[in-house]
Amino acid sequence: MTTLLDVSDITVKVDDKFLLSNISFQVKQGDYLCVLGPNGAGKSTLLKTLMGIIKAVAGTITLNQKSFSQLSQKHLAQQLSYVPQAHGRQLQFTVIDFIKMGRYAYHTAFSEWKSEDQQAMDHAIYTTDTEHFLQRQMNTLSGGEVQRVMIAAALCQQTPLLLLDEPSSFLDPHHQVEVHQLIRQLNQQHNITIIEVSHDLNHAAQHSKHILALKQGETLWYGDSSDLLQATHLQNLYDQQFVFTHHPQTGAVVALPSESP
Amino acid sequence: MKPISTLIVISFLTFIILIISPYLGLSVTTDPEIQNHILTQIRIPRVLFAFIAGSGLALCGMVFQAMFNNPLATPFTLGVASGASLGATLYVYLGLSFSLLGMDGSTIAAFSGALIAISFVYSISHFRRGFSSETLLLTGVAISFFFSSLILFTQYLSNVTDSFRILRWLMGGLSIVGYHDVIQLLPFVSLSVAVILWLTRELNLLMAGDDIALSRGVAVQHVRYLLFFVTSLCVGAIVALCGPIGFVGMMVPHICRLLIGSDHRWLTPATLLFGGGFLVLCDAVARLIIAPAEIPVGVITTLLGGPFFLWLLIKFKAQST
Repeated sequence: MTTLLDVSDITVKVDDKFLLSNISFQVKQGDYLCVLGPNGAGKSTLLKTLMGIIKAVAGTITLNQKSFSQLSQKHLAQQLSYVPQAHGRQLQFTVIDFIKMGRYAYHTAFSEWKSEDQQAMDHAIYTTDTEHFLQRQMNTLSGGEVQRVMIAAALCQQTPLLLLDEPSSFLDPHHQVEVHQLIRQLNQQHNITIIEVSHDLNHAAQHSKHILALKQGETLWYGDSSDLLQATHLQNLYDQQFVFTHHPQTGAVVALPSESP
Repeated sequence: MKPISTLIVISFLTFIILIISPYLGLSVTTDPEIQNHILTQIRIPRVLFAFIAGSGLALCGMVFQAMFNNPLATPFTLGVASGASLGATLYVYLGLSFSLLGMDGSTIAAFSGALIAISFVYSISHFRRGFSSETLLLTGVAISFFFSSLILFTQYLSNVTDSFRILRWLMGGLSIVGYHDVIQLLPFVSLSVAVILWLTRELNLLMAGDDIALSRGVAVQHVRYLLFFVTSLCVGAIVALCGPIGFVGMMVPHICRLLIGSDHRWLTPATLLFGGGFLVLCDAVARLIIAPAEIPVGVITTLLGGPFFLWLLIKFKAQST
């Protein structure tokens, strides 16, 4: 499989503070990378840097053998889409208008809405199961619905790579499972490469292929997700003891934070 | 109502206002020749001028509201108009008289003032991430106060004639004479209208926030600079010619949003027409209310705008909590 994204030694600095230092990793086509780490480790910063929202002060990012510096924001948006962390902002759009804006990168000011745009949008709506509230205002939706609309808008962009920032935080268990299933489906059936920031260790260990563990802006650990659930790794990452057990249903190893005596 | 029907209704009403308003208050004389002269040489250019200025102010307000994602953010509340006023005041005080590429010197001075103010607000609002809209507005208020005091200072230093000229102009009036001013203003407002119409999709995405706009492919920084540039030019030209006419840029786009929704492809033409019609109407009121004397139109818009601002503030607060 070909390397889709090659991140080499990137450093991000804001006001003399290093948010990321010398981060390197590669993502292949069809990969599913989970970025883990305690709060403030630089996980969201990493996604924003990949999306061109924050600029790296050093290092290179190569996408499909093309350097980031050669890509315009529009070209970038044809390769990468991004689902931001849930924010409280009131979005004053109807769902359908918001999803439709996902096609921005394929248009100029006067170009017509073409059949491939419609297809991409229909597909995004169908996949995320959002068709029954397309006419609603964004600010009337529940958290789970907003997240699905955000993913739909990103899918509408038809990019090979999808970045998700804590897509299941702030959702109840039912909707968490729903969003996780959707992401897996996108990865497995639609062959979309995923980079997801998460706090859910067990989800990451079970469903992703690779893990990048960040701490204080530095790479602590980078490897196969099957190696994640080990006491020393987790202890180093979160400064917290973990205990391990087996999922009663699937038999998979599950990590739980240990209770202090 | 569908956006297209709303837009048709707004166009129709604007058209009626444009047709009727030149004739209002024409009964001061019965001599048809004088009446005709007043109509063609004074009234029609004045109505045209009010329409163009109103459209420009309303559109610049709309752009600011979208860019800062806040209905209270306009060139006036953020101090840009004060910057333009200071520029124009200094031009009068220093007794300058020049023009560049057909642009009047006072327009250039007002434009420079507007650009300085906008750079201030923008750099301060980007000084720290997660800057709240309250802080942004307070920054605008602080800048307004600062520029206002500089204007007062300049006025204090001026001679009586200049001082009166500045004061009268600061109230915001449309007592222009002839077509010259219309022709002065038109290119600047047209340029902004063209650029804003060209960037309606970008404005929609900016309203969703920079992160989302960037991830959809908008070159946010370029778009923002371009919009700052054309709105400064537009506000500068309007302020230089008729003084800071407040609150049109806040009221009109907000009312249009309520009428037609937030999609800038519809909102832009609606705001343009409504803004023009609104200022023409305010100007008619300003002419008629104590006829045969008239009050500066800026006084009318500010009288309407103050309470509107408070209403928005309360509404906006209630929504965000």
